[in-house]
Amino acid sequence: MSTWIAIAGVALSTFLLRASFLVFVDPHRFPHWFRHALKFVPPSVLAAIVAPGLVMPAGGIELPPANLRLLAGLVAMAATFHVRNTIAAIATGMATLWALQWALARLA
Amino acid sequence: MAPVLLGTVPFGFVAGVAAVAAGMSAAQGIALSVFSFSGIAQLIASQLVAVHSPVIVTVAAAFVVSLRFLMYSAAIAPHLAHLDWRWRSALAFLMTDQSFASAARRYGEPGSAANRHWHFLGSASTLYVSWQASVAVGVAAGAQVPASWSLDFAVVLTFIALLVPAVRTRADLAAAVVAAAIALVASGLPYRLALVVASIGGIGVGLAIEAWRRR
Repeated sequence: MSTWIAIAGVALSTFLLRASFLVFVDPHRFPHWFRHALKFVPPSVLAAIVAPGLVMPAGGIELPPANLRLLAGLVAMAATFHVRNTIAAIATGMATLWALQWALARLA
Repeated sequence: MAPVLLGTVPFGFVAGVAAVAAGMSAAQGIALSVFSFSGIAQLIASQLVAVHSPVIVTVAAAFVVSLRFLMYSAAIAPHLAHLDWRWRSALAFLMTDQSFASAARRYGEPGSAANRHWHFLGSASTLYVSWQASVAVGVAAGAQVPASWSLDFAVVLTFIALLVPAVRTRADLAAAVVAAAIALVASGLPYRLALVVASIGGIGVGLAIEAWRRR
């Protein structure tokens, strides 16, 4: 039951945030600094999600060469910087990770 | 539009797998997707349901990762001000990172903007259908995906694909670097509170740098 309540809560919050300025309030009634602050939401939130996924894949900080995910993630970042699409990020990142895992298994 | 559609397929698949792996039923995984239509919110919610977090914590985390919709909403609102509330509600419900980017580009082009909401509706609802289909396949595949595929890494990669184009200025870069550092240092905090603290820290640094550069 609590899962259903969580689903309803997640659905409601995503809709309210999307509809905020489109349906409920006029953005010009908010202070200038607030609209400025919103610009920094995507880089901040996304970096805060990505960093632990790359640096702490199993819950503790791991560095290369043991941390293959960090290496593959950096390759994916470089690829995305040049070719801006999701497929490029997923394809290069997964291919790099699988290649490194395969190579490591061979060496071991 | 085609590359965007392609990009949502693996992301949707991973989101569907994650919901089932978190212990949700197929109906719950589908409902989460149909009503929230946000890969990031779905994944965060799945991660927290998996560790049996309190409902309020799950909803708060989904709220924080969805704060970017506030920005999209504010940015697109002036272009849709001539439409009635039903149109605006429908477009709000369908708005995603990709459809916002596409609509913002379209509204920036010269010429009459009177009918561009149809373009927004068309691209956003196409994405909606392809997203739900991908999630459904992921839900059906569920636990059968072997762990050795490291498919959970595809989730991180989709966030990288959104992060890289979101960093456009030095202030953006500083915000991202600081948020990343705080997220690592504060990772011991319970319930992914590190995400909230790191996001606020990044936003603060971005604002500070912008204010300092403008002096």
